[in-house]
Amino acid sequence: MNGLMLVARREIVTQVRTKAFVIGLLITAALVAAISFAPKLFGGPESYALGTVDSQRLPLEAAAPDAEFTWRAFPDEAAAKQAVLAGDVDAVLVGGTKVLTDGKIDDQLGVLLQSVNREAKLGAAGVSIPPLQVVSVGADTRYQAARTGLATVLVIVLFMMLIGQATMVAMGVVEEKGSRIVEILLATLRPWQLLGGKIVGLGVVGLINLVTILAVGLAASMASGISADFPPGMPGLVAGVLVWFVLGYAFFATLAGAFASLVSRQEEVNSVLTPLIMVIMVSYFVSFFATRDPTGTLATVTSYVPPFSSMIMPVRMAAAEVPLWQAGLSMAAMVVAVLAALAFGAKVYQRAVLRTGARVKLGDVVRAR
Amino acid sequence: MLEISELHKRFAGGPDAPDGKLALDGIGFAVRPGEMYGFVGANGAGKTTTMRIVMGVLQADSGSVSWQGRPLGYEDRRRFGYMPEERGLYQKMRVAEQIEYFGRLHGMSAAVAKKATEDLMERLGVAERRNDPVQALSLGNQQRVQLAVALVHDPEVLVLDEPFSGLDPIAVDALATALQERCAGGVPVIFSSHQLELVERLCDSVGIVSAGRMVATGTVADLRSAGNDTLRVVVRNPAQGWADGLPGTVTVSGDRHILRTTYGDDQEILRRAVKAGHVEHFGHERPTLTEIFKEAVA
Repeated sequence: MNGLMLVARREIVTQVRTKAFVIGLLITAALVAAISFAPKLFGGPESYALGTVDSQRLPLEAAAPDAEFTWRAFPDEAAAKQAVLAGDVDAVLVGGTKVLTDGKIDDQLGVLLQSVNREAKLGAAGVSIPPLQVVSVGADTRYQAARTGLATVLVIVLFMMLIGQATMVAMGVVEEKGSRIVEILLATLRPWQLLGGKIVGLGVVGLINLVTILAVGLAASMASGISADFPPGMPGLVAGVLVWFVLGYAFFATLAGAFASLVSRQEEVNSVLTPLIMVIMVSYFVSFFATRDPTGTLATVTSYVPPFSSMIMPVRMAAAEVPLWQAGLSMAAMVVAVLAALAFGAKVYQRAVLRTGARVKLGDVVRAR
Repeated sequence: MLEISELHKRFAGGPDAPDGKLALDGIGFAVRPGEMYGFVGANGAGKTTTMRIVMGVLQADSGSVSWQGRPLGYEDRRRFGYMPEERGLYQKMRVAEQIEYFGRLHGMSAAVAKKATEDLMERLGVAERRNDPVQALSLGNQQRVQLAVALVHDPEVLVLDEPFSGLDPIAVDALATALQERCAGGVPVIFSSHQLELVERLCDSVGIVSAGRMVATGTVADLRSAGNDTLRVVVRNPAQGWADGLPGTVTVSGDRHILRTTYGDDQEILRRAVKAGHVEHFGHERPTLTEIFKEAVA
């Protein structure tokens, strides 16, 4: 096993064994599962409890197939009133002519009762009305709500993962530089092996997190039934998210490691990472905006510009249909940016990581022979 | 043989020192297999910079380091053992895993690294702490782990920067024994230290460095015999003013008068001492390393 893989393995083992990692993973999984069940708990199909006094049940099920209705019969109006006031039933149909409610009737239920009652009476009189046929002339918007929801969750997940893992790389670099262990390491390893191994190792840890989030999310969605609303092409979307995470992570983590090598103390990490965090924040805000307006100019243009594209393009892909060539072009540009970041980051790291003490100026490092 | 020749290094300057700081100005010495080489000098003399250049952690402006007649390369250095001045270990990593990890970085297979780690922990007396994180260990034990990290891959050459600093006498002995064992096995060992008595006791050869230059180098015996002998005479209950007109200095300790001098006619001094009182001691003494050092860097 070569040096880079040894370093990567140490990073993975060290991280995965910490309590923080295990607890973090469990909390994330629980959170994602909760989000997947939330629409079911809060939105869910409507359900109504209804009652009758001396009248037939109305065929509400045929008019509203998504809703659930439970019926019970009351011996007299007084008993029905009591049940309505106690909140046991939403409404009671009395003698086929009036409806008892507690205050104002639920809007949907009111319209439903009136129209089904009208239809039933007309039908009894021999008049049949064919229902209106609805024809959409616009885009297929059946999945819009689900797409927006998916994209929003994705933005938050990508944002947290990128910031979290890039910061871990930076902290790791400073840990080694500050404790001077880097001197022993660099007597046995090339600088690119040490930085590369750290990036690969923590990247794998990030992927473990991300795959857990996606797997738990998908499994919980299927269990809760909301996966029925998912747009077609989910496997492609999931694969795209993973690839985009790897690209974005490679870019930000490399630069985070390189910038961190300029300082020797953990307290200074934040200040050198600020520009990088700002770029991630901007990507985050634009991505968030893109979840609402995925086809707008801002989202479209920025989805080609690395490194912003690493968050904005996957969000666009989740929020709307994106032609394959657009995704491919954006990805190619990002790959070029990642290669440039690797070359630049390795150079900065190599020149700065042994210069302990005061913060090294980036300009000095770049200009040096 | 490890040969270091004509190393020059100037560190980039800041606004206050535009020319930078000259750290090394032609450092050179050689260490033979099985030789223990003590590297001494005042703080800032260039010891650490030299060692860093030997380990490839720093690049020299000019000069060379060669091992077995060839320029020292990356693959050679992987077989070296190194202990930097500023100790570095992963504080949260367990002792055994840490030693093993460095063994593997030096190219050992997993099984061999594990075996070597077990042996070393046993020998250095940290075996019962194998599963503790390094930060839970006392400073002395951390130093032992640091040494284990430098020794785990059975290095061909050992380069240790201040390995004895901060150790209690027992730990010093344990470390000295470990180094002597390696030396006996034919490994050249270079270490820097401010504890000159220790250097004198352990080392075959010594290099004294001052302001980036070698001011003296050679075997301890050679250096001592090259220096001026000191004549020391101890006389008990001598007559007052017995030493008037004799060279050197006289110190009085109880009823003993001690005369020390580096020049003058020793026979004349002896005659005067015998006449003055009871001579307890008369002899030429070679300078200690401390005296040579003070003279060399003065």
